[in-house]
Amino acid sequence: MFANHPTLRYIAGRAGWYVLTFFVAVAINFWLPRLGDANPVDTLMSRVSGSMDAKSARDKEESYLKEFGLVDLDAQGQIVRDAAGVPVRTSILSQFLRYVGMSFRGDFGSSIVQHPRPVLDIITTALPWTLALQIPALILGWFIGNSLGALAAYRRGVFDRVLYPMALLVSAIPSFCFGILLVYLFGIQLEWLPTLGGYDDGMNPGFTWTFIQSASQYYILPFFSIFLLVVGGQAIGMRSMCIYELGTDYVRYAKLLGVRESLIVRYMFRNAMLPQLTGLALTLGGMVGGALIAEMIFSYPGLGLSMLTAIQSLDYPVITGCTLLVTTCVLVANFTVDILIGFLDPRIRAAREGGH
Amino acid sequence: MISPVVRIALVVFALLGLAACGPKPKTADEFPRQETVLIGVAWGDPTSFNPLLQNPSWPALQNTTALYQTFFFFNQLTGELEPQVASSYQEFPDRIEVELNPAAAWNDRTPLTARDVVFTYNRLYRIVPGFPAWQYLQSVEMLDPESPRPRRLAFRLRPENRNPLMVLHWLTLNYILPEHTWEPLLKAAGNDYNNLSKNKMDVNPVGSGPYRMHSYSAEKIVLERDDGYWGNAAFYGGQRPAPRFLVAPLYKSNDHYSMALQQGRIDASNTFIPRIWLKARKGVRAWFDEPPYFPPGCIPTAFINALHPPLDDVHLRRAMAFAINYDDIRELAVSGYSLPHEPGFILPFGPEGKYFSKEDALKYGTYFDPARAREELKAGGYTSVFKDNELVELRDRTGKRVPTLFIQCPTGWSDWESIIRIMVRGMRAVGIDAREQFVDSNTYYKALAVGDFDLILTTPSGMPTPAEPWSRLNGVLDTKDWAPLGERMYSNMGRFNRPGFPGYVPRIDELLTRIPVTTQPEERAALYRELNLLCMQLQPALPLVYRPKSFYEFSSRVWTGFPTAANPTVSPNIPGEGPGIQILWKLRPAGAK
Repeated sequence: MFANHPTLRYIAGRAGWYVLTFFVAVAINFWLPRLGDANPVDTLMSRVSGSMDAKSARDKEESYLKEFGLVDLDAQGQIVRDAAGVPVRTSILSQFLRYVGMSFRGDFGSSIVQHPRPVLDIITTALPWTLALQIPALILGWFIGNSLGALAAYRRGVFDRVLYPMALLVSAIPSFCFGILLVYLFGIQLEWLPTLGGYDDGMNPGFTWTFIQSASQYYILPFFSIFLLVVGGQAIGMRSMCIYELGTDYVRYAKLLGVRESLIVRYMFRNAMLPQLTGLALTLGGMVGGALIAEMIFSYPGLGLSMLTAIQSLDYPVITGCTLLVTTCVLVANFTVDILIGFLDPRIRAAREGGH
Repeated sequence: MISPVVRIALVVFALLGLAACGPKPKTADEFPRQETVLIGVAWGDPTSFNPLLQNPSWPALQNTTALYQTFFFFNQLTGELEPQVASSYQEFPDRIEVELNPAAAWNDRTPLTARDVVFTYNRLYRIVPGFPAWQYLQSVEMLDPESPRPRRLAFRLRPENRNPLMVLHWLTLNYILPEHTWEPLLKAAGNDYNNLSKNKMDVNPVGSGPYRMHSYSAEKIVLERDDGYWGNAAFYGGQRPAPRFLVAPLYKSNDHYSMALQQGRIDASNTFIPRIWLKARKGVRAWFDEPPYFPPGCIPTAFINALHPPLDDVHLRRAMAFAINYDDIRELAVSGYSLPHEPGFILPFGPEGKYFSKEDALKYGTYFDPARAREELKAGGYTSVFKDNELVELRDRTGKRVPTLFIQCPTGWSDWESIIRIMVRGMRAVGIDAREQFVDSNTYYKALAVGDFDLILTTPSGMPTPAEPWSRLNGVLDTKDWAPLGERMYSNMGRFNRPGFPGYVPRIDELLTRIPVTTQPEERAALYRELNLLCMQLQPALPLVYRPKSFYEFSSRVWTGFPTAANPTVSPNIPGEGPGIQILWKLRPAGAK
């Protein structure tokens, strides 16, 4: 069908693989938390059953099982029981089919632990904070890190000798450690910057100057805890890429031809950037899950904690909701990069057209 | 090389940076610090404020009295019930009569009457699945229904499960809700609990307490003072609470509450703060200024699985109890927030102290004593095999190896993990082959209920309650709802004292039934003493250490007047937790006289 459109064929081919990956990932996300022996109703029951007798506890448990769709119901909406009167648990397969059906209608169910809050509500209140913290830190960090790395590789000398060890040091510190150091230094010892939360306790979020002011103050430390690490990591990667490119034939050839230096740097940067771009896509895709540490250390609002508590308490709908989001982000980011690289990288372009 | 997008981003950042560095205008805060008390009391994202849920968000959470109220406060220092919506109660053999405060009113100024109570119990609590008070309550009725403002009520006890202690327990915890706002909701929900419970009750909910819902977000929950609160005139001579706002910020870990308290960002917290004496120089204080810092109120206990032989052997159980270094647990595992250990399940101090017998404890109880642990093992016919001072195995009287005994708790509960390490060290030293078992908390909860453990840590009866120490002893010994391994039990998870089987002690069940219905104080004391003595002799489980019911920490940077042991005007609960709400009338801005 796409015989005469190599580009479209390429995109459709990639898309097909991604759709397949998506369904496999969704299935795994659904099954994994349910593989263990425990279930969320046990956890809930242990919290509420402190002073119940056996009958009240059984009533309560059955009402939870029914509510969360973990038992089979007959036509009248009553719980189906086996010969011993024990409720028949819904099989994982039919739970899965129902979940897929609901997801297609945009309904991700409601949380078990934060019952009766809808999963969508949990995600939409938390996600803006996560994105607002992560996207600028990752993208800005990526640009600045790569520019510094390329500069260090090309300039060498003092600049490289200072930058390289510093970048190594920063990127070698585990992110939780780095965050705690920032809190200790700027929050506790110097008391310069707030370290807890997303804005002052004395206000509610709103589009007012005072709120923006307060939110920016609270933004600084969490931002730098991510930003500096990204800068360090990217700078190291870009530096070695560029050093490698400096030694390649085309650079030497261009130099021998007497091509302008700035043009050589541009050629070099374009080639060295490709792996870095893939890296950026991966971090952007994974940021929803990766936000956890900064959010925990700074008590910053966001999705990380919701996800952690959901996993700890086997809150199936929230886990599947969040992992669906992460899966989608990772796949979309990768897909975009795949397409982009297809256009940017002449080698891939050539292979594609050559195949035609 | 810099793209326009990055350039714009840099400019925005520079602007935000300027904004962040600029002076902070104090006037624009919605909740001025001088008019706000901030408390560390709530956890997790706010979900629903529906008080009919088992686990709603603060302030609809059980044992909070800012918005919804109950009949009484329970003062854990005196063990007494203090009036809230009810002004008094009287116990009769078949019922408890309660009289409401004639001034009680809802925050929409509708009077709160006995009709509301009857509606709350008979219409709302009736449809809540597994509502626990109905185990003990037969019915709730008005005694003066023809009065224009009925205020006398009778709570009839279930004849087959007569337990006035537990009825009083629920009367201090169950909220009274307004008929005039809930009746339409109930109708709209078709009298169905699942429909009704979907209502989040977060917009101007009508309660009878001194504060109203103001706003909430994922970062905090805000209550605002109700200046027309009925109790101001009824209890406080017309005075209103000092702070206009009561705010519960939602931080993500205990450490953050600790840090916020040290920085004066919050005024009080009931979260666990380790080594509180180190925080004193930052102005953080607890109930006492020296150990145990908090009044102890409950007993973390290792339940022993009596259906896992040889744990049904009293010699082995007592040997374990003798082998544990309780002082180490107190000093190393729980930051010294405990008093010296005594055997049995009755607190040797406070309101329960009168039921504790030191004489029995010295004669029959188990204190840390490795020599006696070895004697018990010997008496049970056990031999321990050591090699190079390391325990290899424990053999029973037939020479068979006793399988390693695992002591379980959730992984990451660091104080409990330390307790178990100390237990294991002590037991292995005397020759009992015990090991730690730290599991995922979901696995733990299930194992606890279905009996999938050798030994497991838990706290029987964690809530402050007028039913103590009965509720704690019942939590360890109750056999009414016996279930085999694999099925769930919610008390006596160690499955001790199985009725009708060899070794069954019927006297224990008799005592558990008799104590709640005894009215004579001397008789009750004698029964408690006998039951605690049986616990010391039979060692159904291992009491390990004392812990506070809830933590109580405060900072006087912004507000002064917090009660302490030297000035115990209110039960040691922070504002926003049960009786602690009364503190808000005692607070004064720091610096003011």
